[in-house]
Amino acid sequence: MLSVQDVARSYGRVAAVRGVSFEAPPGCVVGLLGPNGAGKSTTIRMITGFLPPDRGRVRVAGFDTVEQSAQARRRLGYLPESAPLYAEMSVRGYLDYRARLYELDRRERRSAVSASAERCRLGEVLHRRIGHLSKGYRQRVGLASAVLHDPEVIVLDEPSNGLDPTQVVEMRGLIVELGKTKTVLISSHILAEVERVCGRVVVMIRGEVRADGSPADLIGRTGGPGAYTVEVRAESEDPAGAVRAALVRVPGLTVVSAEARGAWVYARASGPSGEDAREAIARSLRTSGLLAREVSRERPTLEGVFMHLLESTPEGGPAARGLSGGGALGGGALGGGA
Amino acid sequence: MSVILTIARREVASFFRLPVGWVCVALFMFLAGLLMVTTSLTPDQPASMRAFFAFAGWLLMPVVPAVSMRLISEELRSGTIEPLMTSPASDLGIVVGKYLGGLIFLAVLILPTATHAAVLVWVSDPAPDPGPIVSGYLALMLVGGFYLSVGLLISTLTGNQTLAYVLAFFSILGLLAGPGLLGALIPPGEGWSWAREVLAGVAVNPRAADFSRGVVDTSHVVYFVSGSALFVVLSALALASRRWR
Repeated sequence: MLSVQDVARSYGRVAAVRGVSFEAPPGCVVGLLGPNGAGKSTTIRMITGFLPPDRGRVRVAGFDTVEQSAQARRRLGYLPESAPLYAEMSVRGYLDYRARLYELDRRERRSAVSASAERCRLGEVLHRRIGHLSKGYRQRVGLASAVLHDPEVIVLDEPSNGLDPTQVVEMRGLIVELGKTKTVLISSHILAEVERVCGRVVVMIRGEVRADGSPADLIGRTGGPGAYTVEVRAESEDPAGAVRAALVRVPGLTVVSAEARGAWVYARASGPSGEDAREAIARSLRTSGLLAREVSRERPTLEGVFMHLLESTPEGGPAARGLSGGGALGGGALGGGA
Repeated sequence: MSVILTIARREVASFFRLPVGWVCVALFMFLAGLLMVTTSLTPDQPASMRAFFAFAGWLLMPVVPAVSMRLISEELRSGTIEPLMTSPASDLGIVVGKYLGGLIFLAVLILPTATHAAVLVWVSDPAPDPGPIVSGYLALMLVGGFYLSVGLLISTLTGNQTLAYVLAFFSILGLLAGPGLLGALIPPGEGWSWAREVLAGVAVNPRAADFSRGVVDTSHVVYFVSGSALFVVLSALALASRRWR
């Protein structure tokens, strides 16, 4: 169980986190999302006890991270961004070292190292130097060290950072497996990954929580208007005008564009959020004597939720610039935070 | 305690996995060998390592910063400080573990010079008095430990190892040469006697010289041990202050 209550943290005069609260029960993967400077990393560092909050409190498995710091840290596993490790150590040596830091006895240590290595599929590199491993394996070593002592709460900062698509899928599988029994908090800039892995998403913008809920809830609540694509056979003298007129008759629908290209008219329209207007569009086109070969609705995504939240944030422009246009998955990438 | 030993063990092992550890060993062995040959293994001289130990402070000056520079600096640079500081190890436990690791490495570094003493015993007639040799080695460890604690504090303040080395080197140089240089600037007369006493109190060299004569003065041991403890505690405070910045 992870409980974050009204935590705030400033660096000098700059308020990085301003009163963030959320809770995460066991058996749940929570995604912490936000653009550059949203305060995600600062929040994570306060959760892990690396930084104390200026205000508010964080409880890990019921223990306050400031007043009961040692107990809280024993119950927490942490994979920092880019998995910092000792390059000169072997994988087994490093895992054994981490197990010793958690004061596991010899038998516990041996079984913990084997179990975490097996869980993270490190068997074939166990005796290799960490510095000689690929980025994917190093990330796995970091994850293995985070889950080694069987913590109740696991915090993973950008766990898929720098991994190739195959490794991303493997990491996703590991996170889902961990999330069945543990409280897992991940910070990720890959929105599609968060959508697939997380049962709950906390969106931070400018140091505050702007949205909190399941991906489906957030998409339903703030997914923005539904976008429609229509392709109709161009048969009249003004085919684009005819399509436009047919679409305008659908209640709540706004025509964005309608353009005739060769034998077809391509139109785009937007409708109210949470409603499916495809049937009404098809009926209106048929009533107007138009033949449609496509009426489709774009599925709202978490990316849409983000864009909507960023645009609706005062001074959202600079925050929105934290978005990476050439992001990992079709421009849906958000940069790492401060 | 087991966490401190775990950190110390990893530190010692990492010295021998990296070139910097072997460079330190080679540098120290070279300097110690050179010093031994030029000061103690000379014909018609009494069989003693007194001159060797009298220079102990200078001998350690370029070597100890090479040991201390990476203790915390490397953790700060590579980011490994974050998983370490979020593990159950306390800030004091981390710096004590690091210090202990550096101290053990220093002992491993100094140990091979025992062969110099063995050679001296072998070639000398009569054999040298073992007392000053044992107390000389004690001085080498005490002075080395003191310098190491100064280097540890500097290593906690910066993530740049080169800067950590340079600052530690000049800090040790200051401890060695500072009191003498400042003493020369103090005007003669009774009015400044307190300043001369203060400088004599903090000077490292006269204390190390006493050990090399076979004199184990408790006040000297207390000076080096408490000085080292002070800098280790300051290092822990400097590390803890990173959480509040």
